[in-house]
Amino acid sequence: MTMHFKKIISFLFMVLFFTVVSSGLANAGAVLSDLENQLMCKCDDKCGKVLINCTCSTADKNRKKFTKMLESGLTVDQIVQQQVEKYGETILSAPSKNGFNLTAWVIPFGAIMIGGVGLRRLLNGWVGKDTKTEPQNSNEPELGSEKSSETSSSKYSRRLKDELDRLET
Amino acid sequence: MNDIGEFTLMVALATSLYGTVAYVMAARGNRIDIYLSADKVPLITWACVMISSIALWKAFFTNDFSLQYVYAYSNIELDYFYKFSSFWGGQKGSLLFWALILTSYMIVVHFQNRSKNLIVVPYAMAVMLAVTCFFLFLLNFSTNPFERIPLPPEDGRGLNPLLQNYWMVIHPPTLYLGYVGFTVPFAFAVAALISKNLDDSWIRLTRKWTVVSWFFLCMGNLFGASWAYVELGWGGYWAWDPVENAAFMPLIVATAYLHSVMIQEKKDMMKVWNMSLILLTFVMTIFGTFITRSGLIQSVHTFDEATLGYYFLGLLFFIIVACTALIISRLPLLKSKNELDSFLSREAGFLFNNLLLLGIAFATFWGTIFPIISEAIRGVKITVGPPFYNQVNVPIGLALLALIGIGPIIAWRRATWSNLKKNFLKPLIVAVVGGAVLFPIVPLSSRSEVYTYITFILCFFVLSSMLIEFYKGTMARQASSDSIVGALGSLIWNNKRRYGGYTVHIGVVMIYAGIAASSSYGIHTEKRLTIGETIEIRDYMLRYEKLAAIQATSVKTRIIAQLAVEKDGKKIWTARPEKEFYKGQNQPVSEVDVRSTLASDLYVILADFSEDESATIKVYHNPMVKWLWTGGWVIALGTMVCAWPDRLEQRRRLERLKRQQIVFSPAQE
Repeated sequence: MTMHFKKIISFLFMVLFFTVVSSGLANAGAVLSDLENQLMCKCDDKCGKVLINCTCSTADKNRKKFTKMLESGLTVDQIVQQQVEKYGETILSAPSKNGFNLTAWVIPFGAIMIGGVGLRRLLNGWVGKDTKTEPQNSNEPELGSEKSSETSSSKYSRRLKDELDRLET
Repeated sequence: MNDIGEFTLMVALATSLYGTVAYVMAARGNRIDIYLSADKVPLITWACVMISSIALWKAFFTNDFSLQYVYAYSNIELDYFYKFSSFWGGQKGSLLFWALILTSYMIVVHFQNRSKNLIVVPYAMAVMLAVTCFFLFLLNFSTNPFERIPLPPEDGRGLNPLLQNYWMVIHPPTLYLGYVGFTVPFAFAVAALISKNLDDSWIRLTRKWTVVSWFFLCMGNLFGASWAYVELGWGGYWAWDPVENAAFMPLIVATAYLHSVMIQEKKDMMKVWNMSLILLTFVMTIFGTFITRSGLIQSVHTFDEATLGYYFLGLLFFIIVACTALIISRLPLLKSKNELDSFLSREAGFLFNNLLLLGIAFATFWGTIFPIISEAIRGVKITVGPPFYNQVNVPIGLALLALIGIGPIIAWRRATWSNLKKNFLKPLIVAVVGGAVLFPIVPLSSRSEVYTYITFILCFFVLSSMLIEFYKGTMARQASSDSIVGALGSLIWNNKRRYGGYTVHIGVVMIYAGIAASSSYGIHTEKRLTIGETIEIRDYMLRYEKLAAIQATSVKTRIIAQLAVEKDGKKIWTARPEKEFYKGQNQPVSEVDVRSTLASDLYVILADFSEDESATIKVYHNPMVKWLWTGGWVIALGTMVCAWPDRLEQRRRLERLKRQQIVFSPAQE
């Protein structure tokens, strides 16, 4: 039964993994919203909004302009490149994934990995400390103990109610 | 009245300064006479701040434009409802509002605790008064809301039209109640460090404050999202704006604290960690205020006169340095006997939950400050917007969602394979079956859609694990109760923290599902229409009926488009999106119209119009947005259960301490 349980978990993870990988390959299409997501609004008010989130008149004009550019056959990447050449990197809604900007993307995951390794080492030390201790009854009555379900007997119902009241939260 | 308001602000500063010093002297010198004198300070300070606040509100209601602040944020035509909320519409008033909430909290803490723990409480009051002093100092000497205009104008400039929405009255106070609330656990943590009273008493004294502050911060974020959704008119609710991030980060760190503190309560472990987390939460609340008031980061939320950056930076620096030094100096006392029975335990689950939560908080913090770092190093202030946060935070968020399901059903101390199988099999089967049912239905053509699909599977897993917990507990109690409802009620009533927490988790699952569906499956369309023409989206057809202009007030004109919405040939709704034009404002404000159901929102915007009555109509079909708001109310219910007074709590604690003495032998007496 334990093997069966492990197989179910492995199967679930495999399904998720292949779905994610296949989706990355299937993603295609240059659409206006993709473009709007990649660029900031450049209005006079310096609203600081991503183009897709902005409702000002400058944003509307730019949307119309970009629609025409897409219809003329330019790709999203080409339009983005044009905009970067015109306004500089500040037009992009997210840092590019090269040079110094790469640190923006790498550091959060790096921090979590370092934290994870640190946590693992910490836990190793903590778990090691307790090897001499005999395993205690690990389950709370409601979580795992089969005893908790044996409630039909009225003999034990009062005691059960009492114990449940005292259950740790 | 303005003079009185200004004077009482000064008195409040003087008394809070005295109180800070007096409380410390009383605690250090064991001087009961000074303590009795200091004990009057919280009430006097609160009364003074309240009088100042009433004076400012009166100035708004009586159109007293001799006050620069009233002139800048109000006008004669402004509705009384918004005159009330204009109080916190600008920097000066918002700081006064902060001081008002802080002093109000302070007197509650004062009355709650004045006969308890005379070692910790005076220091805690001193810390709260010191924070109050900081805000009162700014209000008196840097950004005084009672600043006069020598020749008062006849009318004011008026409130920013975007702020003239009912959420403006609800969202900022809710958020402030959360932000300011964390001052209380922070103050008690610092007091525990100073007084070397480092058992879990400070945690017990402030548990409800932490839960309630967390709740307000959570609801404040949701109300803000709701405000953005109906007011900003771009079809979304969260834009990862720096100020949104600033409200999000303390919420995430506080969530980590709320979970890890349970390990300290149960096993007397992780004292340093919990202390650091609550200090970090407070630092994050001040960081949020710093961002809004420094002008350092471009955001729609920053105040016009963002000039207080250096003060807040100084405060941040002081808090970080002082608290770090305090923790380091108390390390020997904070040492606890950290030991775990197994990696496969709820304790380890909580630690990984902390890792992921702090990972999200750090990624958000990093994204928020990266433009400043980039400018300092390369001279280019780049933008870090939603694409960054979505790509970084979504995978971490999914791992966290999985842990929300795993945590509550994995055993404390040590989980065995048979125990895991017993608790996990059913939720896993539900998740797999749910995933299989959804597979042919949901689109999977982009990474975002796949993430959404995974989110749904995990939601099935978490929801089923929670519901099974409720079911098992109820069934176990049914023998001693008349009915299932009675058994469920008794179960929750006698284990408020546990089942309140599970209810909060169910609310969080609903929010995850709502965010996932609306951000992946939402579609929109836009069309220029003349009267009688139609626009279609999904199963809906919108027929443009008319365009009307209404002069609402002397400064506001409303242009309203009317569209009949049909589904399957039947008229189901009339949409009335509008544009509002305010005198003296460059841009009109869009007022969207939304038909909201649990399945989807139909979100209609009047994007443009012309004199021939043709109009550009933009329509969004956003699935499951209502799940977000409903999830918020479920969280509210769960928090209420958690925070409800529990007569059994003390008994449980004593039993737990007895067991800890037997099993763990605490490291510190």
